[in-house]
Amino acid sequence: MDISPTIFIVPTGIGCEVGGFAGDALPTAKLLASASGCLITHPNVMNGGTLSEKDKNIFYVEGYSLDRLAKGEIALKRVKQQKIGIIFDSAIESKILIRHLQVADACVSTLGINVHSYVVTKKPLNIVFDSDSSEMSSGIIENPDTLIDSGKCLIEKGVTAIAIVAKFPDDSDSFDTNIYREGKGVDPISGVEAVISHLISKSLKVPCAHAPALNPIELNENLDPRAAAEEIGYTFLPSVLIGLSNAPDIVELPAKHELISLHPDQIESIVVPNGALGGEAVLAGIEKGLNIISVKNQNTLKVTNEFYDYPNLFEVNNYLEAAGIILAIKKGINLNSIKRPLKKIKNFTVSD
Amino acid sequence: MKLSSVDLYLDWPVSIKLNNLREFIIANLKKEGDVIRWSIVGIQNSIDSFGTKKLKIKAVLAN
Repeated sequence: MDISPTIFIVPTGIGCEVGGFAGDALPTAKLLASASGCLITHPNVMNGGTLSEKDKNIFYVEGYSLDRLAKGEIALKRVKQQKIGIIFDSAIESKILIRHLQVADACVSTLGINVHSYVVTKKPLNIVFDSDSSEMSSGIIENPDTLIDSGKCLIEKGVTAIAIVAKFPDDSDSFDTNIYREGKGVDPISGVEAVISHLISKSLKVPCAHAPALNPIELNENLDPRAAAEEIGYTFLPSVLIGLSNAPDIVELPAKHELISLHPDQIESIVVPNGALGGEAVLAGIEKGLNIISVKNQNTLKVTNEFYDYPNLFEVNNYLEAAGIILAIKKGINLNSIKRPLKKIKNFTVSD
Repeated sequence: MKLSSVDLYLDWPVSIKLNNLREFIIANLKKEGDVIRWSIVGIQNSIDSFGTKKLKIKAVLAN
């Protein structure tokens, strides 16, 4: 088997130097997918606002489902096309809603994506940010039931994947937003975005992803290139629809009659930023003895292998090195054979 | 359903092996609600002679 299925995680809302902005880990995902032949990653790695890309070697899996995959609870099944429904937060102003609907129409007419229908929530989702996002941005929505009910409605109409667009508070002048746009700090909204999509994944068990609805913001000449993808258009919906268009189906395990494209037992490695070893997928991977490739990628957390002493962990300086490790694993090459100095093999004595 | 953001501080005793850490954390989170999202965001080495580590977990729970 000339693939080495690998999970690639850039945790949301911890200010990663690579991947903490607007789809700025997408080139890295393409590199790792090329090396592994099979990469499983989550929407915020792939979603660059208006920009995104499909790759036949990448499975686009929402974070909650990705954790379940790592735990061995689900498998993935390739599909040619998902039938996408969109949930719009009823707090979205009508002009912005129209912009989003035009994006959906454009994705149908220009990209051939099957965007089937949409629903507007009965109540506003009402986003509330955590006051302290120094370690990880987070928050909640006050009306989760209205979100889930909307998703159920779409499923009943035959939709197989769900995009969610929530109205986020207009804080374009806030300190957090400005330093994020200039390439510093933590994406202030990504934590709540994760909560929204996790709720749909947990409740409805379908592929899903979230795009925020924000009012247009003032031009910033100091914009960091990593945040630029979010400044191109009126919405962030295109990348979500592109990602979901052929996201894999979620197959609950054990599955007797389903065709499976990727079983969790096939996964060999997890690539994760150094310091971010405290997530559920990584801990589940450790339980299974997977290779953990910990990449220097500056972020707010310091949960390192110093505290775990997990033997099957490789610390590397960048994602180019991570790709090399994955290639070696895929080809069954002893990593020690590549490094210098090269130690002699051990000599054991047979005990009585 | 109502969501809440919580910071949970847990002592990680040496009797809990690394392979059981995830289940240990989830068992403690489940006492507070249904788990939507969580991660260890802080960890400190031995705070006592028994080698206990101190964990900080950030979570979103549903009740």
